[in-house]
Amino acid sequence: MNKRAEVATREESSLERNHDTPRIAPLVDIYENNDEILLHVDMPGVDKKDIAVNIDNGKLFLSGIRRIESIGSAQWEEFGDLEYMRTFSVPQTIDSAKVNAELKDGVLRLHLPKSEAAKPRQIEIKSD
Amino acid sequence: MWTRWNDVDRMFNAMDLLQHRLNRMYGDYGRWPGSAADWNVEQSTPRTNLYDAGDHLTMKIEVPGMLKEDLNLKLQGNYLEVRGTRKSDTPEGYSSHRVERGAASFTRSFTLPSDIDSAKVEAKLTNGLLTLTLPKQEAAKPKQIEIS
Repeated sequence: MNKRAEVATREESSLERNHDTPRIAPLVDIYENNDEILLHVDMPGVDKKDIAVNIDNGKLFLSGIRRIESIGSAQWEEFGDLEYMRTFSVPQTIDSAKVNAELKDGVLRLHLPKSEAAKPRQIEIKSD
Repeated sequence: MWTRWNDVDRMFNAMDLLQHRLNRMYGDYGRWPGSAADWNVEQSTPRTNLYDAGDHLTMKIEVPGMLKEDLNLKLQGNYLEVRGTRKSDTPEGYSSHRVERGAASFTRSFTLPSDIDSAKVEAKLTNGLLTLTLPKQEAAKPKQIEIS
């Protein structure tokens, strides 16, 4: 009942609205070889401490928050504070304990090693 | 009624919401190497910001994955030209599933709002963001005027 009343009232009281930081999907390259899956993610201006990588239940969540410090008055602004956010499905064969990530020049490189059982195996043909 | 600004605000909110929904729906649809990840106008040159701090200008440019050797800056008076090349960083021996970040080169030139003292320009590259500090020439700097 209370909730319905809230929905019905106009948002007159909130004269000052805080704009949420926009969420943008970053550009991603995905590579694979026999040992691992490798992701390259463009995240210009994001600090190492503001990046979160979570693997949960076959999903990989990437998030990076960028804060731009401005000095003086803006003459033009084509980019600003935002959150890079993207989710991928990852195969269960990824060894999530060994995932490692590096950030260099605004590009996040994420190594997702495959577990031993999932690696392709060369089968030898025995001759008698 | 013009006083009801939050009606207008709400209308734009609804449009933002629609755009978000569409982005989510078509997130993977029609993605082409190098195409923008969003329903925004596609840009082939990097985005820039320019700030005026009185005695100097600060420009920030998004250049993810570029090294300082890949960038070239030219300044003359109030004309600034930025060139850059991004090399492909496809690792050896990997097969690619998705390539959105391909190699590219760009040139972008600007007419700055005031003349710059080119000897004192500083450029710094951190986390894929190029920050240029462009001190104005003496004549262009703001001056405090005393009232006698």
